[in-house]
Amino acid sequence: MKIAVCIKRVADMGARFQIGADGTSVSDAGIKYDMSDFDEWAVEAALQLNEKHGGGEVTVISLGPDAAQETIRKALAMGADKGVHLKADRIPFDGFAIAEALAAELKDGAYDLILFGRIAVDSAAGVTGAMVAELLGLPCVTAVSKLDVNGAMGTAERQVEGGVETLSFPLPALCTIDQGLVTQARYPSLKGIMAAKKKPLESKPAQLGAISVSVRKMELPPERSAGRIVGEGAAAVPELIRLLQTEAKVL
Amino acid sequence: MSGQNIAFLIVLTAALGLFSYNIQRLVSYLRLGTSENRLDHPERRTWNLITIGFAQTKILRERGAGLSHASVFWGFLVLTAGTAEILLHGVWPAFSYEAILPRPLWQLFMLSQELFAVVVLVAVSWLLWRRLVAPPKRLQGKEVHGLEAVIILCVIASLMLTIYTTGGLEYASDPSVRATQFGWFRPISTGLGALLTSIPGTHVAHDVSYWLHALLVLGFLNFLPYSKHLHVVSSLINVWFSNTSGPGQIGVMRAMDLDAEVEQFGASDVDHLSWKNLLDGYSCTECGRCTAACPANITGKPLSPRKIVVDTRRRLMEKAPLLAGELDVPGSAALFLDAEGGKAALGNVLLDNYITEDELWACTSCRACVTECPVSIDQLDIINELRRGLVLNEGRFPEEVQPTFESLEKNASPWAFSPADRAQWSDGLNIPTYAEAFAEGRRPDILFWVGCMGSFDDRAKKITVAFARILQAANIDFAILGQEETCHGDPARRLGNEYLYQMLAKGTIETLDRYEVKTIVTFCPHCFHQMGNEFPQLGGNYEVVHHSTYIERLMDANLIPLNTEHGQRLTMTYHDSCYLGRYNAVYSAPRETLKRALPVLTFVEPARTESRGLCCGAGGGRMFVDEKVGKRINVERTEELVATGADVIAVACPFCMTMMTDGVAKLEKDVSVLDISEVVAGQLLGSARTA
Repeated sequence: MKIAVCIKRVADMGARFQIGADGTSVSDAGIKYDMSDFDEWAVEAALQLNEKHGGGEVTVISLGPDAAQETIRKALAMGADKGVHLKADRIPFDGFAIAEALAAELKDGAYDLILFGRIAVDSAAGVTGAMVAELLGLPCVTAVSKLDVNGAMGTAERQVEGGVETLSFPLPALCTIDQGLVTQARYPSLKGIMAAKKKPLESKPAQLGAISVSVRKMELPPERSAGRIVGEGAAAVPELIRLLQTEAKVL
Repeated sequence: MSGQNIAFLIVLTAALGLFSYNIQRLVSYLRLGTSENRLDHPERRTWNLITIGFAQTKILRERGAGLSHASVFWGFLVLTAGTAEILLHGVWPAFSYEAILPRPLWQLFMLSQELFAVVVLVAVSWLLWRRLVAPPKRLQGKEVHGLEAVIILCVIASLMLTIYTTGGLEYASDPSVRATQFGWFRPISTGLGALLTSIPGTHVAHDVSYWLHALLVLGFLNFLPYSKHLHVVSSLINVWFSNTSGPGQIGVMRAMDLDAEVEQFGASDVDHLSWKNLLDGYSCTECGRCTAACPANITGKPLSPRKIVVDTRRRLMEKAPLLAGELDVPGSAALFLDAEGGKAALGNVLLDNYITEDELWACTSCRACVTECPVSIDQLDIINELRRGLVLNEGRFPEEVQPTFESLEKNASPWAFSPADRAQWSDGLNIPTYAEAFAEGRRPDILFWVGCMGSFDDRAKKITVAFARILQAANIDFAILGQEETCHGDPARRLGNEYLYQMLAKGTIETLDRYEVKTIVTFCPHCFHQMGNEFPQLGGNYEVVHHSTYIERLMDANLIPLNTEHGQRLTMTYHDSCYLGRYNAVYSAPRETLKRALPVLTFVEPARTESRGLCCGAGGGRMFVDEKVGKRINVERTEELVATGADVIAVACPFCMTMMTDGVAKLEKDVSVLDISEVVAGQLLGSARTA
């Protein structure tokens, strides 16, 4: 099966963020980058599908500056077969502009299945996958927690409030992958890393659509003020209750 | 030449021929392994051969069995001279030592033969009794060839007995030699002969006894290559080629070139191991001292270091003859395979078909097995190579290790703490960083390497502060790297991830060199071992001192202002850390430090201590792997430490600190666990007593 997985390079969420000098982006200082978690699970899902059904090819596509190639290499080290880098100076916030660039790349690829992460962990918009499906006129299932393919049909499960729904759809199709589909994305072995260096990685300019949404300002949440010790033991209880009622207004 | 001589010559030639064929076959199997130079430092290797080999120092670590073995071994050396005479005599009756040696010397030689045969007989009898009547736990287990051992012991006993019967029957059958060849120097043969003089047929009986002895010798010789008793041939050679007691720094993992264009990283099968690993397989006689000392095995985990070595030999004996097309080698495993079976056996690998992943991940890399092995086998080297094979080729490791690897990549620490918080412990302590010192144009004398535990673990941070206070009290010109400190990658290396290790280690070396660091002091034995002993492989050369040694030096120089008032008498015990003790032979510095800081201390040792100390369970990356099977190692160790009656368990490693603290909590004991620097810091003049 020919599968494409669209992946995004994002800042490691464990880092302590600072706003960049322009006030509209995250400062690079001390930040490590990696593949967005949901995208990692999507790569893992694609590899598992092909391992299960035998044969096939997994292509990973990433849009962004040159550094995005590192992220593509990681997916290749995990076991994907080839990579496509859609070069852009920076990743715009506008999901539709990105979707147009991705759709332009995907439309002639004859993919049976196109996978996205449900959301990118940095922007958390969760729209790009669905927009690409619309642009390509493909059936789309979002937030898939279980996925399989049988001949020309796909089946997917989605976790919904209080239950699970099972859907079926014809291929080719586009799915966005949720947490839970795989327990953990595989860790690239050294053998995989070495092999990845020799796998094809094509870089070409991204055909971004017109950007209509942009970030105007970024702010860090206000720092939490230090806690206050009201007193000790039973004697402090009346004062604590009074403060919870009058100041915190939680009682 | 008589008919008997000719018959003997034929038998001798056949026996020696078969033996030399088998030895050549076994040597050719070693070529299956990867090449490795072990001819360096011949003087050190010869010293090992003399001490560990001939003087039997390692086997004598266990008194009873050790002395018995040494008796058989020394007896074997002395009696081999006699055996040579006996065999030559069979072909060439005129030959005897008597003819070429001065008579007193010859008499002494004959006496040595008779007496050593007694020594061997006594030892063998005891060993047989122990095998059959009261076998210790280490001689049990499914990989042990127990029957072989019994056969060998019986053959040795028979060899000794036929020395006496042959001598005695010669005395009885030939009165002409009694006066010259017998007497005080052959007490047992002479005495036995005197008893047999009246019996008829002693002449024939003598020939039978002689032939029996010779055939036993030759039979024994040819049994060796087919049995675990091959160690008789290979172990002295193995001791010479081994690096486990030097030359070179012990405990250092093999250097690895990651840029090499190879199909295989680490090992999955015997042909990925070095010839020396394979020679280890030949040299193992399954005594089980390694397994008896293994903390994983003691607490019910699937690992047995002996099995690792025995499996390596078994797999070699399966694969090598098949590759050589020797399907008809007598006694080889391949003999029992048809073409189909042969193909299937070739498809086997050491990993999975013989040694399971669970065995490999159970290892704490504590080096107890290597330390105990009387013939200097390196079990840990095989385990490390197989772990590398698992991780680097296949990305196979316990799932809980993945966050550790990922955090090492992203945060340069095995735990997911922000690198920005690394030096938070130093807030308000007035401790300069290298960056600050360099900005002022200063070059600090000492780098205090804090380590990831010391930087992020709440309990270990107290050790960090205690040691920093000692350095300040002694007016040492030191600095830390602060946020620029990164993990050197040792946990990744021990867990088989050499790629991640080298990435981190090279980054650390780059930082250290940028700050022109020469001397590093650290309280983490893992950092100490890694940076001091393994960094040179990657071009990082620094003097690295463990804080126990460093504090001892400061005390020697009277630089630490200690409170001299005596205070409360404490009973204290000390838990040896593997990477300090067995890896680096630092045993006395932490003990001396404790005794000098607390002059009224009652110091008690646990049952297993120093080079026999039991691991806390956290080494070899086990800190990051769940302990799901068997008893917890830290509980086993804590029980032993608590049993000493100590009020305080002293440690010199932050990993041991965690494990012992957890152990004490689990046992619900009112015993405190302190790092040696905390004990010393508590005695600093002008500080509140903590110990």
